Amino acid sequence: MEPQRAKSVTRSVQWREKAFPYALLAPALLLLAALTVYPFFYILHTSVHRLTPAGETFVGAQNFLRLLGDPFFYRAAVQTLVFTASALTLEFALGLALALLLDSQIRGRALWRALLLLPMILPPVVAGVTWRLIYNPGFGPLNGALRLLGLDTRRLTWLADPIVALASVVLVDVWEWTPFVFLILLAGLQAIPEEPYEAARIDGSSPWQTFRHVTLPLLLPALLVALLLRTMDLVRLFDSVFILTQGGPGFATETLSLYIYKTAFRFYDFGYAAAASLALLVVTGALSRLYIRFLTREERA
Amino acid sequence: MKLCNGGTVVAAALLLSALALGACRSRSTDSDLLMAVNAGVEADGLKASAAEYRKERGITIRIIEYPYQSLFEKLMISLTGPSSNYDLVMIDDPWFPRLAEMQTLAELAPLFRARGLTGPDGDFVEASLALCRHPYRTGALYALPCVGNTQLFFYRRDLYEKHGLEPPRTWDDVYRTGKEIGEREGIYGYVMRAAQGNAIVSDFMPLFWAFGGEMFDASGRPRVNSPEGVAALEFMLRLAEIAPPGYANFNADEVGAHLLQGTAVMAINWPAWIPAFADPARSKVIGKIGYLNVPSQKRPGASSIGNWLVGIPRRSRHAEEAFEFLLWVTAPEQMRQSALKGNPPTRRSVFEDPELVARFPSYPVQYRALVGSRPRPRSAVWNEIENTFGIYLSQANSGYYSAREALDAANRDIEAILQRWNLSARNP
Repeated sequence: MEPQRAKSVTRSVQWREKAFPYALLAPALLLLAALTVYPFFYILHTSVHRLTPAGETFVGAQNFLRLLGDPFFYRAAVQTLVFTASALTLEFALGLALALLLDSQIRGRALWRALLLLPMILPPVVAGVTWRLIYNPGFGPLNGALRLLGLDTRRLTWLADPIVALASVVLVDVWEWTPFVFLILLAGLQAIPEEPYEAARIDGSSPWQTFRHVTLPLLLPALLVALLLRTMDLVRLFDSVFILTQGGPGFATETLSLYIYKTAFRFYDFGYAAAASLALLVVTGALSRLYIRFLTREERA
Repeated sequence: MKLCNGGTVVAAALLLSALALGACRSRSTDSDLLMAVNAGVEADGLKASAAEYRKERGITIRIIEYPYQSLFEKLMISLTGPSSNYDLVMIDDPWFPRLAEMQTLAELAPLFRARGLTGPDGDFVEASLALCRHPYRTGALYALPCVGNTQLFFYRRDLYEKHGLEPPRTWDDVYRTGKEIGEREGIYGYVMRAAQGNAIVSDFMPLFWAFGGEMFDASGRPRVNSPEGVAALEFMLRLAEIAPPGYANFNADEVGAHLLQGTAVMAINWPAWIPAFADPARSKVIGKIGYLNVPSQKRPGASSIGNWLVGIPRRSRHAEEAFEFLLWVTAPEQMRQSALKGNPPTRRSVFEDPELVARFPSYPVQYRALVGSRPRPRSAVWNEIENTFGIYLSQANSGYYSAREALDAANRDIEAILQRWNLSARNP
């Protein structure tokens, strides 16, 4: 009897020890399931249905086929990519320059840093409304300042010309999110130890060589993290476009997120919006996969 | 040491959340009525009425305000669910066909009958009441009109007098006199809003109708690219010559700003702007603005109607009480109170009230505009049609397409929308 009982006690202890971590994880897993897994399957379900007053009807791949032949969807996708690429380039060029500048011992660093972070802590809607006013061709301070310089601003309409509007929206994003890139890169710079720089100095490397062969490789992990986060955000860009142009003039600044929002909440076509969301999810998923692979490879190297 | 076991923690958590929920619920009693409204001057009027109703009848109407866009989303989600949170809802008239088609609203006829009434009294403006029926004008009644907005034509009366010109009657007059006054005064002759979506479609429709355009033919198929439609859009592009640069992204705010600053001669806008023209803090044109009906061209001018309606969700558990309030709040006395706050009425007697006419000199013009107004086409998928139409109109205005190309493409896409939903649309 005795050994039998001892065995069952150890087994129960073992089971408890094994189950313990899962029990600790359970609330988080449940929350994840409720907030992520369930909505994901619900979107899958919605994407193959059509919702009408009479209820939902199964339509198979119809929503996805429509997506393939929808010129608006393609244009929104191309514009989203143009947005993302141009905003990323500018934000990283500026963010890196600012981080390098403020990492050196210039005067009033603390003040500069605080000022630089201001755009980022404004709510995007407030920033959007403010910029809409700044861009106003007649009464806006931007054209006002240019007029003071003696420029003819009559054709400078910022948000009303298809190509300029795209650039104007990119500019707002750059203004708002360069500080974020700057912040991460500055942290990355300050984490680089002094020794490699000393070694480089002793070897007589030029400032450019030091930057290219010491700073940049050591900064790469921070760069990639910032790049990953900004890319995800830009691919899903919604708030500033919504406030600044609502996707106009015409369709010139419509992004995928805005198109999906309109399809779902203005046209009430949830099936099609779900299909488009899945397409967007595939794009963001593929992009982040790419980055993460790059990131882990760098770390291993 | 074991403080407490898991079961106790869960029980305590449940108890706490139950208490919290209970606390939330206890703030409103079951006899309160919930009303979803558009945030702004419409809500101000209703809140004042609700306060008075409470004093008079002891019944609380809780007014929940939403910004314009999210009100529509809230209504769609709440009214199509298994039970409605709201007992009364405010509806912008273009949303009405969809809500009525989805059978989300209570029919009012039985509620009128239960009170020994045959229906709404004859004081309501017919054009406003027609919006509350599904199908339009002829069908069953599902709402009552509470705010009687309709577009007005604003012009600088002082400048027309100064230059000895007659106020514009046709769109040709608008272009000719706008150009002349604009050039002499160094301001813009005409300002319009051509931001994509609702804005540009609202401003284009009066032009489209005046030039003889109709969105749909008798069988309900789109006809926006008719020769009349193309002529109307080409005329809009001519008006652009005397409009401020950047108008292609203007909304009602920018149009209002140009008028308030005295930098434009004429515009179409909603009457909600009238009080601003008399406000010394905002206006450089006090007493200088005149009001007209929308100009004519091939046909008499008609402005777009844009009324706010109030309906009762079919699944409301307080339909009787809600109807009582609906009748009370749309009766002349409360409508007068709301009109003083800046909400145009939907009753003839309120438009003719001497005190209100003295305060709002535009009332006679507004009344005529409302009576002669046209609603935007009635369709359950109007939002989608308007969006598509707006994109192409906006693209023509920003120089991406010619008028004909834009309207051909719009017609094709509108047809695809109707086919997709297996619907047709009607010209009211």
